[in-house]
Amino acid sequence: MTSSHVMKFMMGLYLFIFFTYLFGPLIIMSFTAFNSAEFPAITPWECFTFRWFNEGKIAYDGQHLAGLFTDWRLHDGLISSLIIGGGVVLLAVPIGMAAAIVLTQVKSQLRDIYYSISIMPVLFPGVIIGISTVVLWDRLAGLGGEGFISEIGRNGIFLTILAQTCFISTYCFLIFVARLQRFDQTQEEAALDLGASQTQVFFKILIPYLAPAIASAAVIAFLASFENYNTTVFSILSDQTLTTVIASKVRLGISPALSALALSIIALTIIAAVTYEILRRREEKKYALSQEKYVTEKAAISRIDKDYKVGFKIPKGIVAIILLVILCSYGGTQILKNDLYGQSCIDAADKEKKSKFLDQLQVLEQNELSDEELGGGNLGGNLDYGDIFGDPNLFQDFAF
Amino acid sequence: MSADVELSNVSVTFGSFFAAKNVSVKIEGGEFFSFLGPSGCGKTTLLRAISGFQDPSEGNVLIDNKDMSGIGPNKRPTALIFQNLALFPLMTVSENIAFSLEVRGVSKTDRQKRADELLELIALEGQGEKKVHQLSGGQKQRVAIARALAVEPKVLLLDEPLSALDLKLRQRMRTELREIQKRVNITFIYITHDQGEALTMSDRIAVMNEGELEQVGPCDEVYNNPRTPFVATFVGENNPIYGRIKSIDGKTVEIDTPDGIFRSTINDNTNLNINDDAIAFVRPESLFLPRSDDNFDNSLPVIIDSFEFEGNIKNFYAHLKSGTKIKFSVPNAIDTSHIKNGSSINLGFDSQKSIILPKAPLAID
Repeated sequence: MTSSHVMKFMMGLYLFIFFTYLFGPLIIMSFTAFNSAEFPAITPWECFTFRWFNEGKIAYDGQHLAGLFTDWRLHDGLISSLIIGGGVVLLAVPIGMAAAIVLTQVKSQLRDIYYSISIMPVLFPGVIIGISTVVLWDRLAGLGGEGFISEIGRNGIFLTILAQTCFISTYCFLIFVARLQRFDQTQEEAALDLGASQTQVFFKILIPYLAPAIASAAVIAFLASFENYNTTVFSILSDQTLTTVIASKVRLGISPALSALALSIIALTIIAAVTYEILRRREEKKYALSQEKYVTEKAAISRIDKDYKVGFKIPKGIVAIILLVILCSYGGTQILKNDLYGQSCIDAADKEKKSKFLDQLQVLEQNELSDEELGGGNLGGNLDYGDIFGDPNLFQDFAF
Repeated sequence: MSADVELSNVSVTFGSFFAAKNVSVKIEGGEFFSFLGPSGCGKTTLLRAISGFQDPSEGNVLIDNKDMSGIGPNKRPTALIFQNLALFPLMTVSENIAFSLEVRGVSKTDRQKRADELLELIALEGQGEKKVHQLSGGQKQRVAIARALAVEPKVLLLDEPLSALDLKLRQRMRTELREIQKRVNITFIYITHDQGEALTMSDRIAVMNEGELEQVGPCDEVYNNPRTPFVATFVGENNPIYGRIKSIDGKTVEIDTPDGIFRSTINDNTNLNINDDAIAFVRPESLFLPRSDDNFDNSLPVIIDSFEFEGNIKNFYAHLKSGTKIKFSVPNAIDTSHIKNGSSINLGFDSQKSIILPKAPLAID
């Protein structure tokens, strides 16, 4: 063993800890989506189930726990989140782009001031942006009487789009500024010189150049809007977005349906990222190949002539995939062998819980009795509370 | 179709700085005209004033006797080739070339036809579908020219377009540019700090210094009869010898220097009197190693410092008794094995091949 081995080992260990820290909670949560227990948990593991993804369940104590596909509040929230995200993209991307283009035209000391003002919305707490939007539009809606203004001024989705655009357009602004910094201004001049009007320069030179920035600004704007809570919670008024629905659920006690939702989002993200990466690599390969071919053609020297036949190569990720398959099939057989999947398992678990629940109720009733027996004793604060709520004459002085 | 370009009293100021000062010059239609000067002398500013990117603070730009003030760059009959070429990297070669037609609403088939014609002109047939980054430096250069020629401008403006190329390519492109100019027969206005480029390509050149025109004329005239010490030392190389005028006899002048009295020539319109401070200029190629039967007007005793071999010529660096540095060159065919560092020799030059000018700053100062 040499020092480099130690170094490698430590590096590996560090990476392991780092990624565990990053992804551990997500992985654990993903497993809880498949546990039939009413509360997201890995232990105790009851039964393996998919019901949190579809119908949900009625708990042993009678509480209805909706699954992902039957939870209409989540669906409504998701739809308004998508509408808001789309609206924010449509507003924030052009605003950010316009602001960035203006920045390239400002040449004097004004430039720094303009830049500072432009990025200021990011520095404001989102809560303040949310509240101030609501306050402003409430006034505006009040001014207009009954009509269009008062209608949209009290429309939560409209206000949320406006409020989120305030700071999300700044993200877009920064993306565009970064891209424009590398823009060669002589291209604009060349186009002008060749007879293009300013409008033509904008659409034929600047927009194609900015296309990648437009795409990434749109994605960032949509994601920022989709996951926003602190601004939205104020500006959404009586409506609900996905984040506010989830937040209200958390307050009332979370169900594994949320884990199912999170897992779905994670899966979508991973699929999108992998697809993008595959496409990107394919294009890159194609480009590199054409480039190489071009050089070879140009040089026409056998020295760098290359054989383009590429044999079948085993992808490096194959080991990980094989491991995953083995793990899944082993887990699957274990689940089936121990009767951890299906209705019989769930019924058994429910029965057990129900009996436990009844036992606990009995215990509680007994405790209640013993509490009453102790009434009037010197047991401290609890008793005072009991007295307050027990006293029927407490509020008699508050005549309405 | 070519057009005259006239600058009348054009000044361009940035704050209190004069980028161009009172420039008046008339460029004939179909001429290959160069502005030559060191960097920062205002030549690019002049070009931008002609193309319309820079409004003159004073004076007028006239193209075809029409005042261009208030007319934007996209409405002028000029095309500019930028120093960095400014090709559009996201378009193919054909799209680049046909861009000016596209913005004028020419149909796609006509655009393609014109692009193919121009590709043939620049000897890049069949390469129209390539992206710009797949081209070599010289090919990019030619595409930029084709793009500028697509709408048949009356004046083509070139802003040091060869400066990014390597030496061989630059030399080849000089010839090509000249040929293209003859073929399309439009006015070329060329900007460079490289006097070799200016001299080989141009019909006439204008030498600029600090925003002002020093001299305008045909290449050989500017080279052989410089009007100012700046032009004498900026265009080609020159050895200055400082002194005072001793006598003036028609065109022949005697100058009294610490290293002796030399006979030299004076230009028609140079105003010099006896006892004025003056500089005699002798080019390195006009200084000869005298043979016994040679009879030169002047003899210049020098001490050799060093020498360099350039291939076709050998350059010798020497100094006079007074310390003045002298450079002279000898064709490689002449045997110089007897000249060693430190040896004293006499060089000869004719009064016809030397020019005398009033004392003023040099380009190499």
